[in-house]
Amino acid sequence: MNDTQWPRYEVFQQEAEGKPVLHNGTVHAADIELALLNARSVFARRPDATQMWVAPAEQITSRTREELAADPPAAEAAGAAEAYYIFGKLAEQAQASLLGEVGAASGEAAVAAALAQFGAEAALRWWAVPAAAVLKSDPADAGPMFAPAREKTYKDQAEYPVVTMMRQLRAKANTNHKDTENTK
Amino acid sequence: MYGADVEQIAIELNEDPQKLADFEARIARGEKIEPGDWMPTEYRRQLIRMISQHAHSEVVGMLPEGAWITRAPSLRRKLILIAKVQDEAGHGQYLYHAAETLGATREEMLDALLSGKAKYSSIFNYHTTTWADNGAIGWLVDGAAILNQTMLARCSYGPYSRAMVRICMEENFHRKQGQEMIILYSQGTPTQRAMVQDAITRWWWPTLMMFGPHDADSPNSALLIRWGIKTRTNDQLRQEFVNQLAPDLQACGIQIPDPELRYDEASGNWLFGAIDWDEFWRVIKGDGPANAERMAARRQAHEDGRWVREALSAYAAKSQVQL
Ligand SMILES: [Fe+2]
Ligand SMILES: [Fe+2]
Repeated sequence: MNDTQWPRYEVFQQEAEGKPVLHNGTVHAADIELALLNARSVFARRPDATQMWVAPAEQITSRTREELAADPPAAEAAGAAEAYYIFGKLAEQAQASLLGEVGAASGEAAVAAALAQFGAEAALRWWAVPAAAVLKSDPADAGPMFAPAREKTYKDQAEYPVVTMMRQLRAKANTNHKDTENTK
Repeated sequence: MYGADVEQIAIELNEDPQKLADFEARIARGEKIEPGDWMPTEYRRQLIRMISQHAHSEVVGMLPEGAWITRAPSLRRKLILIAKVQDEAGHGQYLYHAAETLGATREEMLDALLSGKAKYSSIFNYHTTTWADNGAIGWLVDGAAILNQTMLARCSYGPYSRAMVRICMEENFHRKQGQEMIILYSQGTPTQRAMVQDAITRWWWPTLMMFGPHDADSPNSALLIRWGIKTRTNDQLRQEFVNQLAPDLQACGIQIPDPELRYDEASGNWLFGAIDWDEFWRVIKGDGPANAERMAARRQAHEDGRWVREALSAYAAKSQVQL
């Protein structure tokens, strides 16, 4: 048995209350609960998370602005409407961020609804994520999940004043140099 | 060859000229290529090669330092070392995930590593013989990695570039804890000073080799630069590294083991002596001081983890049946 059959999950993370929910990367895992645990180990080793979401990559509908221009999405779809989270990549260098929620009967219809609601120019790339497919970290678990990283201040590069240390070393070397000159 | 026009490259690589031209125009506009976008087969192949080698390096890179966790000289140093080794495991994960977005599977990547087919950074095939080696690795090896990774953070493939931004932040902690250690020991007791000098003497040349062959012997470079995967050459990065490290190590009173090293006013560069490329190729091809040991440790770790993977898969299969 090997682990390659494991599906991929997209990981989303909110750094702090009031900050945007951002796409962070992917993990692979045997199931969605383990995906959330893996995401926590991989992406929350630094103190910058209050909540984390995972969703199976295969259930996400993704469309670029060019694809949408060439082939506009159908707004109509058969079946009952369900909730979709809409993520948009707002700039080339940016991670996709959560724009809001729409109700639609398919991923493609959700993208069409997002274009109507947020404007076709709002994003370079759109993602519609079925809300029912998302597993969010439980707010009650936020302590055990994210707090340990906060106490480990030694992981912060600012704890190491190497620039000052180098400056002091050079200053010391200069005074020593002058001292030897004077005794000559 | 790759200064040529797009038509000619399309013929050589057997790609649709129009698609290739559109792709190159996107890169020229500074757009990021994302999973699922059209890309030349060779772009995908080169990225999978680079990202998986990079992932293997992070994972194998845990071994030389991991060996010192139980022997750290203080609780603070032990906590730092555990956190650093854990970060490297995390970096391996970011990178395997990034390669998976290109269609590479975890199994084929791990198979390539464990069967000895895949390459990883030559530097991790050297032994860590004293505690000061952990300082030298932090300052020199992680420092060299940061230069390479800062460049890759601007790479044209979105998932690789975003993984690098994250990794660089963490690598700065790695570099600085190592530099702090070397500075302190270089001003310490005669034994500490000798230990630090010995560590730098052993790690200096292997670190310069980390940047890879000279540009003239680096056949992939031109295409990688054309497609925005790399933006600087091996030799440029190596020179920048020497320019950063040489004056700082000297300020610590540490001798760099290169009699030809000198500052050149005209170019503003620190010129250095010839690299022993025979040693580099020997280590890359599997015959370095610790290659066999590193691979044996990786294979053992993979075997030891088998029951965990099997249990996770069995649990997932069982819960799916219940749904
Ligand atoms: Fe790393
Ligand atoms: Fe590192």
